[in-house]
Amino acid sequence: MKKYGRLGSLIWVVLGVGLCIGSIRLKLGGIHNPGPGFLPFLTGMLLGIFGLILAFSGSSKDPREDEVEIKDTLSMKNLKKNLKPLSTLLILFAYILLIEPLGFLLASFLFLFSLFKLSEPRKWLKPLVISLCAVILSYLIFYVWLRCQFPRGIFGI
Amino acid sequence: MTGFLENLSIGYQVAFSATNLLYCFIGVFIGTLIGVLPGIGPAGAISLLLPITFGISPVSAIIMLAGIYYGAQYGGSTTSILVNIPGESTTVVTCLDGYQMARKGRAGPALGMAAFGSFIAGTIGTLILMFVSRPLSEFGLKFGPPEYFSLIILALTLLTYFARGSKIKAIVMAILGIALSQIGIDIVTGRVRFTFGIPNLEDGIGLVPLVMGLFGVGEILTNLEESVSMEIFKAKIKGLLPNFKDWVASIGAIFRGTFLGFFLGILPGGGAIISPFISYALEKKLSKYPENFGKGVIEGVAGPESANNAATSGAFIPLLTLGLPSNAVTALLLGALMIHGLQPGPFLIKQHPDIFWGTIMSMYIGNILLLILNLPLIGLWVKLLKVPYKILFPFLLFFCVIGSYSINNSTFDVLLMFFFGIIGYLFRKFGYEPAPLVLAFVLGDMLENSLRQSLLLSLGSLSIFFTRPISVSCLIIAVLLFFLPIFLRKGWQTKTKLISHP
Repeated sequence: MKKYGRLGSLIWVVLGVGLCIGSIRLKLGGIHNPGPGFLPFLTGMLLGIFGLILAFSGSSKDPREDEVEIKDTLSMKNLKKNLKPLSTLLILFAYILLIEPLGFLLASFLFLFSLFKLSEPRKWLKPLVISLCAVILSYLIFYVWLRCQFPRGIFGI
Repeated sequence: MTGFLENLSIGYQVAFSATNLLYCFIGVFIGTLIGVLPGIGPAGAISLLLPITFGISPVSAIIMLAGIYYGAQYGGSTTSILVNIPGESTTVVTCLDGYQMARKGRAGPALGMAAFGSFIAGTIGTLILMFVSRPLSEFGLKFGPPEYFSLIILALTLLTYFARGSKIKAIVMAILGIALSQIGIDIVTGRVRFTFGIPNLEDGIGLVPLVMGLFGVGEILTNLEESVSMEIFKAKIKGLLPNFKDWVASIGAIFRGTFLGFFLGILPGGGAIISPFISYALEKKLSKYPENFGKGVIEGVAGPESANNAATSGAFIPLLTLGLPSNAVTALLLGALMIHGLQPGPFLIKQHPDIFWGTIMSMYIGNILLLILNLPLIGLWVKLLKVPYKILFPFLLFFCVIGSYSINNSTFDVLLMFFFGIIGYLFRKFGYEPAPLVLAFVLGDMLENSLRQSLLLSLGSLSIFFTRPISVSCLIIAVLLFFLPIFLRKGWQTKTKLISHP
């Protein structure tokens, strides 16, 4: 169970090394006159060191650490459990991509409607009404009242 | 003294203006709302509303955002008592005795005492804040770059020391926060750092998309996976006013919780989260009937609820006097002040007395409003608790998108929020707390500038950090705190060995 957690810790080492290399390219400067890469280099080094400690430290003896349960994201048995967050993420990503071309109103309606349908796949009217009301209300609050600027999209709405 | 009274008068005028009264009400109302609803915390809500505050005056903005922060502490207890699910991380302990009281038909006095305890603690906390801020900000004038550097190091060490779960993971998060803060243009040399050729990153990563992603989207995704089921306590809530016996049992706990919470709140690292636990342990220790704790004892509600509210007042001390946030929420408040062109710190009280004293005075008003919102209007919040999460989460996500977009009218910020949402979700799964990352992210710029300025001042000598009393004191405490868990762990292991092999 904790295997992925430990392997994941090596990401910090990779990131730390990357940060150090990037910092050297930026010029480290000296202690008399620290350059733009000075602190990033120190940060990278510390990230790498603590990543290594995390990856190679044995199982926790500290009772408080046992509170943290590392869940196995990658196992098949959890796939069903993870399906809802994954679908939500996909819908959110599609919304972000569509908000400029379709405009705020239409994209937001589709976004909310899809999420409500995800929760209640058999119902049509309830998700439709709630999404429509929410979009109109948000338009009135954010666009009309608070004067936030939203994309109008190809339909100009 | 005259100056103090003058300042109070300024604060009074600011806080009692019709506009600020309205924003104070909106703040505490939203605070209670997000406190009641599990799944969104004050950090998420403040980052959500940050873009809205651009169009209003800085003082109104801070009054509203501060109201959300302390208002959330009030609302969180309602969910803990009636549903046995903490509305906020600071009200976890309230579940223990609060829910048991509700099961015994005493939900009314539990809710009432939570509200009164919070009110007393909030008011006393604000009173202490009012008296200690001025001398502390004068002390803050003695701080130069080396002192700020050492203080930030101490703040980050404290943060990781108090972190829940693994300390090393908390340290990694803090380092990652500093690394993220270095993305963008280096203000000293003008060099672009770690932007990978993306022009939108030249101004750095925005605080709002980062917080929205880590706290908002990340938390929503986790909740979706866990499918939080809320069984609301069904019996009618009656007798919200605690009786004389309840008051006798609780008054000591309220005052102890208040002072404990306030001083823990000053420390970086989520004093508001730790203080209710310590208050609960203290009350149990002092009680004549410790065996009854966890079975519905009113002191178990009064002490922790007072502690978490007082801690929010305490958290304003380092923010307003030194410009240093002590947790993710005050980091956002710092961000909000900076967006409005203000630099919190020792000069804030002198240069902007209206903002400083206006905010403090509004806290008194806010506490009174919260008492009204949380006692006579308790029915409204109970009804709200009945809204299922499947209806709620699309709206929360929708607001996250609006909040991230409207800050710069940029889809790139929404994409950043999406990216940090995935990161936040994975962090939660692998036991990483995002709070140290956010705080370190906010303090990162200040840390780098103070380090570079100190080294330039000392012509490259590190002794500058060890020869100035405030700086060296901070560093000594930081080193001690850093190594303390290792010694404690060694001691714990030796003790375990002695027990197993006597």
